[in-house]
Amino acid sequence: MQKACISGIGGYLPLLRLDRKTAARNYAWSGLAMPRKGTRAVADWDEDPVTMAAESARALVATAPAALRFASTSAYFSDRSQAGIVLDYLALPRSVRTTDAANARRAGTSALLDSLLGGADELVTAAEKRVTQAGSAAQLAYGDGAAAVRTGAEGAARLIGHASISHDLVDRYVSRDQPYPYVYEERFIRDIAVAEMFIPAIRAACEAAGIEGSAIAQAACAEPAGGCWRAAAKKLGIAAPNHCERLSDEAGDLGAAHALYGLGLAFAEAKPGDIVLLAGFGSGVDVLLFEVTGAVPGAAAMAAGLAEGRLLGDFLRFLNLSGSVDLDWGMRAEFGLKAQASMMERVGRDITGFIGGRDSHGNVQFPKSAIPVNPAASGPETYEDVRLAEDQARIVSVTADRLTYHPDPPLDYGLVQFDNGARLLMEMVNRPDNGFAVGDRVMMRPRIKSQNRALGFRTYFWKAAPLSRPLLGDN
Amino acid sequence: MASGIKDKVAIIGMGCTRFGERWEASAEDLMVEAFSEALADAGVERERIDAIWVGNALDDINVGNSSLPAAHALRLGQIPVTRVENMCATGTEALRGATYAVAAGAADIALAIGVEKLKDTGYGGLPLKTKGLLNDLWMPYGSAPGNFAQLAGAYCAKYGVDPADLKRAMAHVSWKSHQNGAKSPKAHLRAAIDMDKILNAPLIADPLGLFDCCGVSDGAAAAIVTTPEIARELGIDNPVTIKAIQLAGSNGSEMQFGEWDGASLINTQIAARRAYAEAGISDPRADLSMTEVHDCFSVTELAVMEDLGLSDPGRAPMDILDGRYDADGAIPCQLDGGLKCFGHPVGASGLRMAYEVYNQLLERAGERQRANVKFGLTHNLGGAPYNNIAAVSILGRKD
Repeated sequence: MQKACISGIGGYLPLLRLDRKTAARNYAWSGLAMPRKGTRAVADWDEDPVTMAAESARALVATAPAALRFASTSAYFSDRSQAGIVLDYLALPRSVRTTDAANARRAGTSALLDSLLGGADELVTAAEKRVTQAGSAAQLAYGDGAAAVRTGAEGAARLIGHASISHDLVDRYVSRDQPYPYVYEERFIRDIAVAEMFIPAIRAACEAAGIEGSAIAQAACAEPAGGCWRAAAKKLGIAAPNHCERLSDEAGDLGAAHALYGLGLAFAEAKPGDIVLLAGFGSGVDVLLFEVTGAVPGAAAMAAGLAEGRLLGDFLRFLNLSGSVDLDWGMRAEFGLKAQASMMERVGRDITGFIGGRDSHGNVQFPKSAIPVNPAASGPETYEDVRLAEDQARIVSVTADRLTYHPDPPLDYGLVQFDNGARLLMEMVNRPDNGFAVGDRVMMRPRIKSQNRALGFRTYFWKAAPLSRPLLGDN
Repeated sequence: MASGIKDKVAIIGMGCTRFGERWEASAEDLMVEAFSEALADAGVERERIDAIWVGNALDDINVGNSSLPAAHALRLGQIPVTRVENMCATGTEALRGATYAVAAGAADIALAIGVEKLKDTGYGGLPLKTKGLLNDLWMPYGSAPGNFAQLAGAYCAKYGVDPADLKRAMAHVSWKSHQNGAKSPKAHLRAAIDMDKILNAPLIADPLGLFDCCGVSDGAAAAIVTTPEIARELGIDNPVTIKAIQLAGSNGSEMQFGEWDGASLINTQIAARRAYAEAGISDPRADLSMTEVHDCFSVTELAVMEDLGLSDPGRAPMDILDGRYDADGAIPCQLDGGLKCFGHPVGASGLRMAYEVYNQLLERAGERQRANVKFGLTHNLGGAPYNNIAAVSILGRKD
């Protein structure tokens, strides 16, 4: 087998976590069955698979990959490449090849396997923000999040075996006419998935790697129903913990990103020499086996990220954020901004990549203008590109606006000052308990800028956020 | 600096509608109402008006774009009509256009009229509109209270002011304007309000509460201007004249360059300096008898007191709490209730400010009348603290 490795891994979970027990309590009157253990990650209104994929990958692009893959079953656009938007978010060259994978929760592992088998230096991203119906078990079982993997010929985790099985098991589906997951009986799913997919695929992958199942030290197995891993592992003599179970408990099932985020957790626990199993499920399975030779960059941060977050105690707010209720926000909400393609063509790379310009006197500004804002400038100039996305800034002025329409009020915004001279008015997200204050340091996060529901379009930019997040245990 | 327009143009007539929820009146009705009062006040025949400058900031709400709605409403023949728009500074911009036309000799008698019909928006506050296709891709979509609320935190940070102390000073600003508005027959809000109610009002944009914010109104205001010579021919020997009209606009520096601290209004400082120079005022604290400033929000008025040079930097909260700008204070501000209580039909507000100063100068302000008014200043602000147009005018009697 051609040498194929993982050189880095990244993940992203939204700040908010819904306590399932609290949520289930709101449904107690109904008698509906739903998970009550742990928490689920909840995306802000302005986060989607594109923004979360970009978040998960931002630490993996010190150099440009040859290709960028994006996998999701909940991508917003169906005729616009999400990978292309992520490419702009990461300010990667347009020569980077982009592909989008979809239509199965397995898309994340399939994209990773394809990348590894190709042997090239690639970036694989997977992200999910799935819409669920209020009252469904999926609403509390699912979570929002993303993961990214950098592949190449060198890296701390080497692919040593793999196997895939394609199997059109309809354990659940989402379609154009059925926007919410339609889920079949769990016991049926578990029996078929274990017997027909997990066991044979894991066995085949071990054979390809020349190892026994007992050699597997860590696992990241995305399960269509609880107990699949335990049943398969028992049959195959595998004692490894499944880190996707912990991920499900603490952040929810991340769909196409689930196994990849779980892989990061598994890498964080792995010691040099460990064999790590990755299994993605959905209309079949992909099983990949890695030999870990050292610390995988990014894995520890993913484990740390799982422990961070802010508990979301307001169940109605969760329903609003997850699109399960359609609140009447009044006439102000009727207004919709329309983005023009020609404008986006002119400035889109600067906007999505958060690229300002350095003028001939050294000042950085955003956005660029024909004549620099610097009073030293006396006429039109061309600028040197300066990316602001990875820089910190300081809040000069701020408010929490409760009058303007905002999908998750209030709107925090204000003037921020970058250390390189750039300053601009920005929206702020991940509001601290005591709100934002003048002088606070902020970092930049990719977010949806505007959502025009009538036209079915959204634009993307960046928003300022606190530098750190609270630990869930401190909430 | 240019020689300026001091005493080159006289205001010979003004009109102002009642501001408020004028459900019964169209924009056309409001223009006719304000114009009719101004025409009667000036005592000239309508045929003598050579040109019109109409100010309307939000043409998508009722009035319609271009100068034609005013031309249709006033039916003054085919005279030149120019529509101007400079956000909330639109009213003063209309007066500036008409004034310059007279000063230049392009018109003997010109009309400035501002109008807005905001209560047809369907909700409180300003109507929503695009900020331009490029800006829409990155700029936050905050409300006007949100934009100006940011002054408060920045001010506290700059001067080490306790936010609770600033809140009390802001509340005093609103309390004072409600006291004054109660004495203005044409004001939108005519109820005095106690401090506790102001301080405990729901937040609109932190830290601005409901009573820290002006509402929006329907209304129109108009001024008829001419030369002092023509005024004299009309029997007005000592007319109100324009001592200065100055404008300063952001070039983007506050929000894109430099170290502006967010606690002041730079263009207001610049426009005021130019206006004082144009009017020959060296000590505004001594020379100004009154001000009508753009109190869209209480914190705006607070900051503007410093930007106009009437309070020392960092001292405005104390001066406000000391009553310096109350109706019986040293330099009363918003004798008519200001935007806060007289109302804010955007395109008309600058002319409404001039209307109060004009009436005070002519000693016909009723129970609001101050003694010995010599110079009155208007300050009209369009935009947000970080990106705005400041218009400052000074009116007095012809020397």
